Amino acid sequence: MSFKHFFSFFPFLKIIRKYPESGIFLSWILVIIFFSFLSERFLTLENFASILTITAELGIVAIGVAFLMIAGEFDLSVGSVYAVAPMVLATLWEQGIDPFLGLILSLLISSSIGFINGYITLKTDIPSFLTTLGTMMFFRGVLLATTGGFPIYAKGTHLLFLLLNSRLFKDFRSSAIWLVIIAIIFTLILTKTRYGNWVFAVGGNKEAARAVGIPVKKVKLVNFVISGLLAGLAGIISFSRFKIVDPTLGEGLELEAIAAAVIGGCLLSGGHGSIVGTFVGTLLTASINTGLVLIGAPPYWYRAFIGLILVIATIINMLILKKVVLK
Amino acid sequence: MRHPLVKMINIHKWFGHVHALKGVDFHVNRKEIVGLVGDNGAGKSTLVKILVGAYKPDKGEIYFEGKKVNFKSPREARNMGIEIVYQDLALIDLLSISRNFFLGREPLKKLGPFNFLDHDTMRKESIKILKNLGLTRIQSPDQRVATLSGGEKQSVAIGRALYFNAKLIILDEPTASLSVKETRKVLDHVLEAKDQGASVIFITHNIYHVYEVADRFVILDHGRKIADVLKDKVDPEDIIEIIRSGGKAIRKF
Repeated sequence: MSFKHFFSFFPFLKIIRKYPESGIFLSWILVIIFFSFLSERFLTLENFASILTITAELGIVAIGVAFLMIAGEFDLSVGSVYAVAPMVLATLWEQGIDPFLGLILSLLISSSIGFINGYITLKTDIPSFLTTLGTMMFFRGVLLATTGGFPIYAKGTHLLFLLLNSRLFKDFRSSAIWLVIIAIIFTLILTKTRYGNWVFAVGGNKEAARAVGIPVKKVKLVNFVISGLLAGLAGIISFSRFKIVDPTLGEGLELEAIAAAVIGGCLLSGGHGSIVGTFVGTLLTASINTGLVLIGAPPYWYRAFIGLILVIATIINMLILKKVVLK
Repeated sequence: MRHPLVKMINIHKWFGHVHALKGVDFHVNRKEIVGLVGDNGAGKSTLVKILVGAYKPDKGEIYFEGKKVNFKSPREARNMGIEIVYQDLALIDLLSISRNFFLGREPLKKLGPFNFLDHDTMRKESIKILKNLGLTRIQSPDQRVATLSGGEKQSVAIGRALYFNAKLIILDEPTASLSVKETRKVLDHVLEAKDQGASVIFITHNIYHVYEVADRFVILDHGRKIADVLKDKVDPEDIIEIIRSGGKAIRKF
């Protein structure tokens, strides 16, 4: 029986064509099985809760990064924004400004950084990789310089923290709910709205998009703002858990977020990808994270593993795209 | 109704020091297929890009259906019924056929306060259009455009323009890099467009392709119009000779 015949019995290709994310979902299951054999504590509610806790904070950043990546642009500044937002909130709170107002102000600043990224990129036509590398370094530097490298602690507890990131049941936290809500909203926007269609079009082929009258720059600019906004929100959600913000918070997070989006099937060059895939990509990296801790591997192995998975997943995603979706 | 569909008068365009168009007069009548031909750098693409508002003319006037127009973007031109189909960038490869078809003009349905894409209409209409175009090889409107052949892509793009009742369809090298069979199909679609009441500007290097379908030829050379002749006055060899000689052969007619 030939390879082709085998697949005609099982609508494998059909499923993958319709849901290219199923490949990454399968990889996630494999990772779960792998760690379940190595540690009996992996397949427990506690561990699932800690996977979700990590996923929530990284995932919200990754969704913004993916949404922008599908439109054909990069954002390397999300790691810095992730620290700027809670730092602003914590500093304002020290001055007696209520964290709810602080939240609004810090999200406004996060969005503004996204706007600056987009405006410079689109106005000067330089690659967003460079613009956002610049703002990443700039804002990190400003943060380190203004704080002198010292962390700021939360003045106590506050309703905002309870809402954003508190224990609900066992180790399950409210941050996971925010992630799911944001994932659903952006999935709907991307797949079910006119704007979503434009995001794909702009990232897929901006000249063709322009030729049919789509406001290419406006779409990209909006997505830059969203990327900044979500990175800031995720930073504040993280602050709500730790009650401390260090000026080095989120260093390297931009690469993890991009890795999660790409592992989840987003095309680095734009025009293709999904929020669901990004979500599962984040779950996968978080699972590796807790898995390595549970089997007692030194934490350094985390990066090595993610690097490996990133390359393998990209190869698989490319194959799915070229051999199945575009065939 | 007696004025032509499009009239462009004394169009000039400079790119830096290059005088790309040097006072071109150009018109298209209703239900007419105009072959816009000329060598590389003659100004063909520049002329149509000015027409659809992608470039601003440095001098000159444009009339559409008798009214003076000044399109600021291809979107404005598109809303007035002028559709341009570029050779390579008519469609977006990574998007499905139905999403491409309605790109920029997506049908919506209301769900509470939100507007969502009307996927059912998009799919149904796309299936209908593919059938009308005779593209029977295509199985589903959910297929990505990357899975189509060059000819199928051109056909879909022309079909899209017709579906939205374009009054003028501009085709930029629609038959470049197509097989003989596919070329035939695209030429048929051009004639169908005319039957449905549209006018067509057909830009090409292949005089034989455009000769089959065109009613009239406008020949550009180095930014000037050197000939504007009805089809029954010339044969393909004459046109090639005019282009080759840069207009010197024109005395013959």
